[in-house]
Amino acid sequence: MNEPQTLPQYFLKQVAKYGAGKIALRQKELGIWREFTWQESYENVRLFALGLLSLGVQRGDKICTIGDNDRQYLWGYLGLLAVGAAQVGVYTDAIAGELAYIAGHSDSTFALAKDQEQCDKLLEIRGQVPKIKRVIYWDDKGLWNYDDPWLMSFEAVQALGRELVAQEPDRFDTEVWLGQGDDQAVLCYTSGTTGLPKGAMLSHRNLVTSAAMFQQVDPRTDTDNHVSLLPLGWIGEHALGIAPHVYTGIIMNFPEEPETVRENVREIAPEGILYNSRLWENLVGMIQVRINESTWINRKLYQWFLPIGYRVADKTLHNETVGLGLKLAYQLGDLTMFGPLRNQLGLSRIRTAYTAGAALSPDVIRFFHALGINLKQVYGSTEVTGGLTLHYDNDIKFASVGKPAPGGDVMIAENGEIRLTGPTIFQGYYKNPEATAEALWQSEDGRVWFCTGDAGYVDEDGHLIYLDRVKDMITLANGERFSPQFIEGRLKFNPYIRDVMAVGGPTRDFVTALVVIDFDNTGNWAERNRLNYTTFVDLAQKPEVYKLVETAVTQINANLPPAGRVRRFVLMHKEFDADEAEMTRSRKLRRGVLYDKYGDIIEAMYAGAEAVSVKATVVYQDGSEGVIAASIKIAALEA
Amino acid sequence: MGLKNNLLQIENISLSFGGNAALSDVSFNVRQGEIRAIIGPNGAGKTSMLNCISGFYRPQKGRILYKGVTDLTQTPTDKVATLGIARTFQNIALYTGLSTLDNLMAARHIHMRQNSLQSMLYWGAAQREEVAHRHAVEEIIDFLEIAHIRKAIVGSLPYGLRKRVELGRALAMEPELLLLDEPMAGMNVEEKEDMARFILDIYERRGVTIVLIEHDMGLVMDISDRVVVLDFGVKIADGTPDEVKNDEKVIHAYLGQA
Repeated sequence: MNEPQTLPQYFLKQVAKYGAGKIALRQKELGIWREFTWQESYENVRLFALGLLSLGVQRGDKICTIGDNDRQYLWGYLGLLAVGAAQVGVYTDAIAGELAYIAGHSDSTFALAKDQEQCDKLLEIRGQVPKIKRVIYWDDKGLWNYDDPWLMSFEAVQALGRELVAQEPDRFDTEVWLGQGDDQAVLCYTSGTTGLPKGAMLSHRNLVTSAAMFQQVDPRTDTDNHVSLLPLGWIGEHALGIAPHVYTGIIMNFPEEPETVRENVREIAPEGILYNSRLWENLVGMIQVRINESTWINRKLYQWFLPIGYRVADKTLHNETVGLGLKLAYQLGDLTMFGPLRNQLGLSRIRTAYTAGAALSPDVIRFFHALGINLKQVYGSTEVTGGLTLHYDNDIKFASVGKPAPGGDVMIAENGEIRLTGPTIFQGYYKNPEATAEALWQSEDGRVWFCTGDAGYVDEDGHLIYLDRVKDMITLANGERFSPQFIEGRLKFNPYIRDVMAVGGPTRDFVTALVVIDFDNTGNWAERNRLNYTTFVDLAQKPEVYKLVETAVTQINANLPPAGRVRRFVLMHKEFDADEAEMTRSRKLRRGVLYDKYGDIIEAMYAGAEAVSVKATVVYQDGSEGVIAASIKIAALEA
Repeated sequence: MGLKNNLLQIENISLSFGGNAALSDVSFNVRQGEIRAIIGPNGAGKTSMLNCISGFYRPQKGRILYKGVTDLTQTPTDKVATLGIARTFQNIALYTGLSTLDNLMAARHIHMRQNSLQSMLYWGAAQREEVAHRHAVEEIIDFLEIAHIRKAIVGSLPYGLRKRVELGRALAMEPELLLLDEPMAGMNVEEKEDMARFILDIYERRGVTIVLIEHDMGLVMDISDRVVVLDFGVKIADGTPDEVKNDEKVIHAYLGQA
């Protein structure tokens, strides 16, 4: 046997190694986890692949798949790759129009669709996708009365395959070994923020290399479990599920229904998992609510041990030794609280948990580390086959998105843009050479880089920090760029700060900020510290409150490039109010309005004044108007 | 149309509570394998009719022949279920303290053959039987898409889901005739459409004959084969949805004197 290059070739290698002696995948069905060995998986893939051949699939064809993560989706995936076709993943909840665009643009010749819902969509757009010869479904529920020959069941395709096996028993293996590493494996449509989605072409080599790169940082074994929960339209499942499944033999587990995913994760307790950042944030909220509703003893344990968890997490993350006393205390906490909590989340066996998508708050990452969950940030894009930078064990910085994976590299372009390179860089956008040329850039040493459109910088330890989209960055007079949203977002994690507007621009030399305190939290803090106050303005102007906010700003500054640091700020005399058009109803800043309205304050900050007097007309809830006059202090920080 | 096709033959049913006549001389039939709707304004006697069929009420006059032989008006209530008749209620009647799964399993008791001692030992045939029942119940859970609430306590579920669990419990009895009392009442449009789809699936896939009471006229007309209309306890129309829709008496009953 040659050295495997493609995903199906790796699959054959695993089948030869494990055969009927080991579980390849599980799926929960009718309340029971059904297990399938590598041999059974092989039979199913083989029959489906040969069935496709009988139906006339050619090497280089595209086949789109739309449906929940089920075993048939895996078998279909490997089967179509085995005969040289490429997979086009579509989000399950894609509307008919999106499906028509992707199926049409990708020139798909067949479609794999789970059930009635997806078949109905395809029937609806049938006129727009003339190239699709057949739709293959794998769940016949509700399709009993459909007798359109365009639709065909997964089993019927496999039955065709069975006939071919009888005639040509070696055909499947022959087909698999015709594959080359640079063959196209996946066409992944990126949800471009502007314009139509673009189909990123990824080769077998891209996917296999990506799996190999992650394997070096976070090794997986053939007893590891993976719960297949990410949508096929996204690169994550390809790179962290299917590729490692055939590359290292991790066991795939398919949930019963999309609604039961969380329960199924708990039953499987996987060793690795990827959730998007929103989901991790939701989990924090869920844990806090559950603890509050729990028994007295549970609440107490949580209150006692969480600070200990934080201390241990801070030390281990910075590679400091944890003292014996602290270690013992943590072990007690692990026994009584952290362990059971991890079990509740289905993370009792987790070795590495990943977050991707939007930047996750450092507080959330730190929280999970305190619970003993090794949560790491992954950063990349579809065009580099998923993650290209990630946190390494014991080298986790909350504010960073990690360091390049082995073989990958990061550079910052002159305009502050993050560019990525490595063996996982894609083959280009399907039928779109202009966009491909725009996205790729060749450096002097001949390496090809993917231009992410994201802004960021690399800190002194080699960690990549993601700031914002390049187009949302603001340039200062000295040519430096900064991200107002990054500063605002980080500052708002502080419980005493409700809103922030970071200010800068081509005529400004440095960054300043208008900060609105959180009246409730700051008020509580003041009461605990025996600080008397009357009104919002009075509280905001207390020197102690300035000190409190200054500490927060200094902390954020430490994570920013010097030019982008906040040098002056004021604590506003009133909250930003949607009724006064200062914010939208969804609490997004209306920057133009705020610039106009608080121009005096902003000018005073840049003029180096120590205080500025303000007069504000406020609209009360009954519609009457009043005027607040006050002097507000300007805090200056060292550069 | 021979009498053989008639699953239910309802003949001259009269029911009164004290001096109030709830049903007067109502006759109609339900054919094997159809969806039969009973509609009518409030207080028309729809639920009373259903209660007579399921043996909850005893009509003073008339008879209800099931499969041409058994007179349901003379059958004890607990025997009606074993004949293959299941129902759901207007105001959901589930064991609120039990899980979805347990509610459905409880409905299987009419099919359980082992005695108490065998069940307690949970050995041999008793265990095999339990596994078979659980399988049947899981098929229903899959069919009604309620896997995510399998272990949830029914009392904590939202209304729409409880309605679905109740339908599941009726299905778990593996009925030949399913009586649904306002299965879509109080639901939003999406839930109603889901429920309509389930009802059609039950009818198509499981070959169950369905009698349903419903207020939402649009849905009734969409999914029923035949409709009987009651008003003040009297049958005023009987026929296909189109026939009924254009019947003057029906229009009058629903819209008042024109």
